[in-house]
Parts: sequence; structure tokens; C-alpha cells
Amino acid sequence: MSSSFSRLPDTQGYFGEYGGRYVPPQLEKVLQEITEAYEKIRNDESFQKELDYLYKQYAGRPSPIFHAKTLSERCGGAQIYLKREDLNHTGAHKINHCLGEVLLAKRMGKKKVIAETGAGQHGVALATAAALLNMECDIYMGDIDMEKEHPNVTRMRILGAKVIPVVRGTRTLKDAVDAAFEAYLADPETIFYAIGSVVGPHPFPMMVRDFQSIVGKEAREQFQEMTGKLPDYLIACVGGGSNAMGLFNAFLEDKEVRMYGVEPSGLSLNEGEHAASLTLGKPGVMHGFKSYMLQDEEGNPLRVYSVASGLDYPSVGPQHSFLKDIKRVEYVTVNDQEAIDAFFELSRVEGIIPALESAHAVAYAMKVAPTLPKTTTLLINLSGRGDKDIEFVVNKYGKNYGL
Amino acid sequence: MNKTLHEVIARKKAVGDFLLSLYITAGYPHLKDTPQIILELDKAGVDFIELGIPFSDPLADGPVIQKASQIALNNGFRISHTFEILKEVRQQSSIPILLMSYLNPIYHYGIETFLNQAHIWGANGLIIPDLPLEERGLFTPFLDKYALDLIYLLPPNAPDERLHAIDDASTSFVYVVAYAGVTGRENSDPIHILPFLQTLKKSLTHPFLVGFGIHSHQDIAFYSRYADGVIIGSAFIKYLEKVTEKNIPKKTREFVHALTSPPA
Repeated sequence: MSSSFSRLPDTQGYFGEYGGRYVPPQLEKVLQEITEAYEKIRNDESFQKELDYLYKQYAGRPSPIFHAKTLSERCGGAQIYLKREDLNHTGAHKINHCLGEVLLAKRMGKKKVIAETGAGQHGVALATAAALLNMECDIYMGDIDMEKEHPNVTRMRILGAKVIPVVRGTRTLKDAVDAAFEAYLADPETIFYAIGSVVGPHPFPMMVRDFQSIVGKEAREQFQEMTGKLPDYLIACVGGGSNAMGLFNAFLEDKEVRMYGVEPSGLSLNEGEHAASLTLGKPGVMHGFKSYMLQDEEGNPLRVYSVASGLDYPSVGPQHSFLKDIKRVEYVTVNDQEAIDAFFELSRVEGIIPALESAHAVAYAMKVAPTLPKTTTLLINLSGRGDKDIEFVVNKYGKNYGL
Repeated sequence: MNKTLHEVIARKKAVGDFLLSLYITAGYPHLKDTPQIILELDKAGVDFIELGIPFSDPLADGPVIQKASQIALNNGFRISHTFEILKEVRQQSSIPILLMSYLNPIYHYGIETFLNQAHIWGANGLIIPDLPLEERGLFTPFLDKYALDLIYLLPPNAPDERLHAIDDASTSFVYVVAYAGVTGRENSDPIHILPFLQTLKKSLTHPFLVGFGIHSHQDIAFYSRYADGVIIGSAFIKYLEKVTEKNIPKKTREFVHALTSPPA
């Protein structure tokens, strides 16, 4: 595979015109150090061996692919397959990059890892990796998200992490990122900022993608073993876009594989009621990188919303912006109600409760499957399980589903 | 390059004097306060002004300026108000004004359009804390055309080659960040930065001003020995929090007076 994709980003961290490193200069030196340390370990056999061991013996990799036959039959068209990242230790794909980031932090001699979290999945995964590898861990989380996702807050605390409520701005993911940056700026020498998605200044979008790319690598092999061919469609939800990049990355050169990134259209496509950054945003610079971004006419990020806390971010990983522009990936939307329907449908016909984030990908598959022949295959990245969401979903939507 | 800014710096340097710059968030505490605050600062002897364009996610700023920015945005501040402020100030004062903005508001406005407006209404330069040196090419093609200086921030942990690269790119002065962290730390002890300041005195070809966490007469006395000037931001913003609207002019003068005169 000798095409352009494997060389992205360039040495300055650009995917086409997106990405880069737009940070206050106090951070430049330490980001360069992380970049250099990462370049070293990415080709270091002992590091890769240690990471592989943890993936297999600790996180439970490889995650299986499951053919959701009943769901496929009920949709009455294409065959739906699930890459079961929900079965990983800690219940989502986030453990993949957290193990990588904390191992790297440890090798760099850092004492503490910090991060933001939205739904709490990244926070839990980082707290887990930090506990395993004996690092201190501070997690910044909007107090609104803390209330909604309190089981994950409890998990992080049990694991020994400090959860710091963020009460500034919109009190959700965007502001948690601001708060984590502020803490990082104050002590970049002893802290490692283990950012939670394929966002932020270079090298984070590249590094997190690489650690997540295990998902696509496995899926590519497993799927061919199961069916003798590659999937026709890949479908993944996109907030920051880490699970989608993880799946897509291994298939970018396979021109026959169509890819769909699913953004949350929330309550509507009106301002403040969705988080469809790629669908409705414009290029802008925030949190240290250039990408599509939902912003007002003054360049301030807009308020965003999704029923899934892990998706409500007004920007998106820069590689997704690039893949949109070159039309390699198509970005579509699914709203709250469709995601909730998919949440119950998958739970009730396959016995799998998906995370609300992942339910967006399932919902899109349910929409598109009926329009396709029975021979077409769809592979969804089922990026997380829904345990964290059950209370919220039942309280808010249960009545319509007999609960 | 901006002539007025250079003259002010050169005049002070010539007599071995120390430069005092104050930061104010545009549209804070109230939308219409800013021109009057700037004029008072000028009268009180401040050498130049950093006029902050409020942004909702100011990565380099601490809680005080974050809050001021949010208040200004809630007051209804728009980027176009920046130019109205300049217009009003310029009827009475030629004090150099540097516009401090994060990249995205300018990027979104249109970089050249923004610089053109800044020039028309009499701004003298720009400070963009999240613009890396490597991306200065977004701005440099227009700086001469619109007679503006772009000021770069030099972090306290900068390696030698970075220091020289920033010095080389600078056209008027270098903005030295006093500590790793966001603006407005209250207990920052300047003594830690002393060896670095001594290095800068030897290595930099441009004058340098120190900013971040400077809030007292004592701080200024310290920096006046090792730097060419200081920039004060959060301390002034915080002070204005408690000032009633009608007292703003008087209190602004008092603030500068307290900074520049030794405590009684």
C-alpha cells in the first residue's frame, strides 16, 4: 500500500489543510517532545510488544465481529455486522488509545496523566490504564455530563482518579477540553495530556488514530475470514471521531469500501440543537487544530447538543475534515429519536445494549440497510456498550418503550 | 512595521525608561467603557495598550480574563466594536494599540479584511497567542501593507533556537511569558525567571516586555531591572470588577498611579 493515506499527516501535522498545532507557545516544546517520543516508540519493538500484550491479555482483544442476523432480517436488506468494541475491558474502544498513551507517558517519565471526558468513557479508560500502570490521573468533566453519566464518575473514582468538575462555559465536553488545556499549560513537564479523541494539536490526531487503528486492522482480517471479502460499507459514529478513524484507517486504500461517518443531528438541525460539525460547520481553529467547526458569525464555537454526551463537540478530528473534502468518507446525520430507537432495537433483537454514541451508527445502518440488496454487507463499529446510559434512557424515553 | 509603535519604544529606550503596557478586554466591564478606559490609561502615562478581542475559549487565559471575555460577549460585543473603539480613541489619542485576539475570530472574519480594518481605524499591531511561529505566513504578507507589527510570545522554557527564531521574526518587541501556564497567576515569583531574563538581555536583538502574573509595584520594580517593560492584564481586569461604572475613569488612573509610584 503505497498511497498518500499512509503518509498523512505531514511532518507539521497537517491532513491537507487541516490539523496543525495552534497552541500558546508554552506548549510547543512539550508537544514536540511528545512527537519525537512517539516517533521513537512507534517503531520500537519492545513498546509494541508490551502494547500487544496488554491489548490481548488485559483489554481482551481481538474483539469479535458478530453477524446481526435478526436485525438484518428485520431491516430487510443488507447484512449488518458489528465490530464488538463494546466487549473491550471498560466497555468501549477508548481503552485502545489510553493504554498506548499511558505507556508512552510512562516511558517519557511523566508522573501524571490528565484528560477531558464527555460521556466518561475516555475518562474511565484512562483511569483504568493509569491504575494499571501506576500513574496519577486527573479527569476534567463538565458538571452537566457528570450528572448524566454518574456511573462513570463513580468508576473513575473507584479506580483512583480525581474527577474535576468543570463549571465554565457550557459545562460540557468543549469546556472540559479548555480546563484540561489550562492544567496542562501550567505543568507540561510532569503532566501528559492524554487527549480523548483524534483531536487537538499535532501529534494527538495522528497518535490516537494509530493506537485506534488496531480496530480496523483486526476487522479487515476477521471480516475476510468470515465472508471471504471486504465489507461493502463501514459505518461509525463521529464526535471527535476516534472510533471511526480506528475502523476506517485500515480500509482507506480499499476504494470499493464505502465509508459513512454518522454525526448527531440531536433535536434538529437548528443552531444549538445538534453537533453535526462536518455536516454544518465551516473550517476554523479551536483547541489547537484546524478543522470543520460549528461557529457563530464571530468565530466563537456554537453551543452543541446530542443525547449522546460523547458526541457533543463543536469540532471534529482534522483527518475527518480532510476525508470529507476529498470525498473518501461520506458524513451523514442521525437524530436523537433515531438513535434511541436503534438503542432499543439492538437491545431487544440481538441482546446487545449499545452506548448512545454507537446507537447513532446502528441507526444509520438500519436506515440504509433496507435500501440495499441482501448480498451487501455493512460493518458497524459498535464502539461502546450502553450500561452507562441505561438510567438516563429509561427515565427520559422508557415510557415509549414499555418501561 | 508600525511607525508610532516604534517611535514610542525608541523614545523610551533612548532615555533608559521602562515601558508599561496595559491589557483591557474590549467590551468589559460594559460594552461602551473601553474607549474611555484607554484614554484614561493614556493620560495616566501608560505607553501602549493591548486591546483584547473576547473569545469564548481563550486557551492562554486564566479565570479572570476568561470571565471578562464571557462578560464582554454577553454584553453583546462584536468584532466590529473593536473598530468603533479605535475610531473613538483616535479622535483624542495616538497611544499605540495592539489588538490581542485568538486566531479563529480573525480567521473567520477574513485575515486580510481584518488587518485592513485594523489599519484603517488606527491599530498599531497584533498579538495572537495561539498563532505558532510556523504559521505566521498567514499574516506576514499583509503586515507592511497595513503598517502593523505582529508580536510573538516567547515562552519561559524556549530552547535557544526557538528564542532566536522568535527574535528574527519580531519587528518591534518580544513578549516574554513569565511562567508556564495561563494568564493571571497570583503567586508567581519572578525570581525564577531571572536567569532566563539575563540570557534574553544578552541574546535578543529586540527589546522585550514581560507579561503574565504581574500585579504589583514590587513586580514592576523587579522587572524594570531586567527587562524593557511589562504588560499587565489580569490584575487590571480583576481590579475593574469592583469598580462602579461612574468611577471607572478615576479608578483607572489610580490603578496606574499605584503601580508606578512606590508604596507610601
